[in-house]
Amino acid sequence: MTLAIAAAAAVLFGAGAYLLLQRSLVRVVTGIALISQCAIVTIIGSSLSQGRAPIDPQEGGPLSDPLPQALALTALVIGMATLALLLALVHRVVVTHGTAERDELRDVDRPGAGGDEAVRHEGDETE
Amino acid sequence: MTALALSLLVPWAVGLLLVVLDGRRRTVGWLGVVTLGATVAVLGVLAADVLRGGTVAFVTGGWPVGVGILLRADALGVTFALSSCFVLLAAACAETLLGVGQRTLPGLLVLLAAGLNGLFLTGDVFNFYVFFEMSMIAAYVLTGYGGGRAQLRAAVIFASVNLLGSFIFLVAVAGTYRVTGTLAMTDVAERIREVPPNAAVAVAVGFFVAFSVKLGLFPFHYWLPTVYADTRPAVAAVLSGAVANIGAYGLLRFGPGVFAEQLRLSATVLIALGAASIIYGGVLAVARHRPAEMLAYSAIGQVGYVLVAVGVGGPVGFAAAVLYSVVNALNKALLFLTSAVRGPLVAGAFVVGALSVAGVPPAVGFVGKLAVFRTAVDARSPTLVVLLVVGSALSLLYLFLIYQREFWAEEDREAVTDAEVRDAAPARGVSRRVPVVVLAVLLLAGGVWPEPLAAVSGAAADVLTGTANGAGP
Amino acid sequence: MTGPDAPPGPTVIVRVVARLLLAPSVVVAVALIVKGYTAVGDGFAAGMVVGLAVALNAVALGARRAEAALPVLRHAPYAAVGGALLALASGFFPVALGEPVFSHRPGPDEKVVSVGKAELMTAVSFDVGIFLLVVGVVTVLVHQLAEPDQEPQA
Repeated sequence: MTLAIAAAAAVLFGAGAYLLLQRSLVRVVTGIALISQCAIVTIIGSSLSQGRAPIDPQEGGPLSDPLPQALALTALVIGMATLALLLALVHRVVVTHGTAERDELRDVDRPGAGGDEAVRHEGDETE
Repeated sequence: MTALALSLLVPWAVGLLLVVLDGRRRTVGWLGVVTLGATVAVLGVLAADVLRGGTVAFVTGGWPVGVGILLRADALGVTFALSSCFVLLAAACAETLLGVGQRTLPGLLVLLAAGLNGLFLTGDVFNFYVFFEMSMIAAYVLTGYGGGRAQLRAAVIFASVNLLGSFIFLVAVAGTYRVTGTLAMTDVAERIREVPPNAAVAVAVGFFVAFSVKLGLFPFHYWLPTVYADTRPAVAAVLSGAVANIGAYGLLRFGPGVFAEQLRLSATVLIALGAASIIYGGVLAVARHRPAEMLAYSAIGQVGYVLVAVGVGGPVGFAAAVLYSVVNALNKALLFLTSAVRGPLVAGAFVVGALSVAGVPPAVGFVGKLAVFRTAVDARSPTLVVLLVVGSALSLLYLFLIYQREFWAEEDREAVTDAEVRDAAPARGVSRRVPVVVLAVLLLAGGVWPEPLAAVSGAAADVLTGTANGAGP
Repeated sequence: MTGPDAPPGPTVIVRVVARLLLAPSVVVAVALIVKGYTAVGDGFAAGMVVGLAVALNAVALGARRAEAALPVLRHAPYAAVGGALLALASGFFPVALGEPVFSHRPGPDEKVVSVGKAELMTAVSFDVGIFLLVVGVVTVLVHQLAEPDQEPQA
């Protein structure tokens, strides 16, 4: 079981890393999402235990460890929040730049001091 | 205990309220400033408690240790919380005086304070992660502040790279739980000694990479120049003065505090990486042309000093690392904030900040540099001393270059600077410079009277070396 | 949201199911909150159930029409913040009494007033806060990402 989970985590991380290296920002975001899933799978795999839910335990017998479940749940929530944030960011990039390609973002790169001010004013107007 | 709970509750609750309100209104901005001021005050009370009576700690819900989450304020955490919140306060002040351009800004700054307090004042690895993400999410949104193309690009880069760092941290947390079966920092520190060395080193490296990414240390710095240079000055001040503290604190808390043995094993590597950071940051800062970019590379160089001090270790090294982190946070906040305003007073403040970064006597940076030099001398390594001297010389050089470009050539540029364009209401012309000047005065005062800082960082180092470890209820 | 080959807009079935699921989802959510102390469930799970129903509605009708059909959704941001504040209040009120954060009242061995199966204690109000927070956040997210042009401040 540990091996299967490790393999799943490895595949998730590999696929995520591959997507991260792509040009499209949407793919980059997908890659980050996959890597976050890899982290969660790792949490689950790090503490496999079988048993009853530990809420109100009465009879003897194995209990499952509640801590990693709480960790995984929290990590999922945080992952969802960051994913939503990234998607919102990419959406704004598409609105302001008219593109979701990483390379085209670089066109606004390093203007001189004067150009920088111009960019900032443009930014002020879009607000 | 009340102060500890309040230091979380006040910024958290008010921050949530502020996020819904329109932060562009002056009153909302000032409400944010007042909240941050109150947070700093609460932290001050907490710090006094901690320094006088030792670690303040309690477990949530009155549960036994190990079931509930341990909230713990020791000298190390309080020092970092206080300096970070102070930087946030200065940045919020400066931005409110300039006029807030986005409705969520005050709320985000206050929520960032809540997240930072939470992570500095916890004794639980996973709770650390939760608050860490809370502050990082606030920071991601803050990076996009301004909404221009450059800021958006910075936000995308900052968020993607740091999220990767966060997930590496999470994997390391999972590994910690796997090998030790606990997530309370003190228990982890005890049980990690019996863990097979390979597993322990793997976990420790995971934490190191995660914090180095936050801190922008040399091999993980690639995101930093773009982000610091393209965000608004106030946000850059927050990122380099408050958010980067997460990295420094994490290195200290998880290095000597939890993975002490692994830290000893890798001391040489850390010192080498720190030295590389110092030289790399210094050389590239001299080579760049935009002031913001030079300051960004300077930030890479400055955190190198912290890493060197951590690598050398021992009471002197850790005290130097704490001291230098605090001083560096204030320096960077001041320098980035000066780039938003102009005038002779600001030029003076910039000079103070520059002297502080370079470690020239009247400013507090001298104390920090001195402490790092002492660690280098303690380590009996002439090479290290020479490297530190070269680093300081480089920082003096690039800061002089910035001064020359920014403040000597001021008359020519005045017409195009957007800070001047925004200067429509002359009545607030002087008041806008107040935060910068206050920070500068503080840096000078710290340099003239460094005993409190030295005492606090000494107490923080004692926490790490275990001589004053009254932790746990 | 639909593939390139799909007909424009979801089918009637999806729309009807989305509309019909909303009320039961709220019932399930209430059950999850009430049962959450001795069985599986809590405010977060309850919030996710309602949040999924809201999301399905947004997919079926489009965010704007979903909001027109259910004007309550416009208050989602306030629900989120109100819920978060309620949760914080439930968590931090013991500070005023000198107890650790997240202690609950009535305490572990005290008598609990219950209405039917629902036990009235501060832990429940915490869960209600989390429920509101999750529903609010999910609604805001889905509606923002579905039709972001309504409010540029994402």
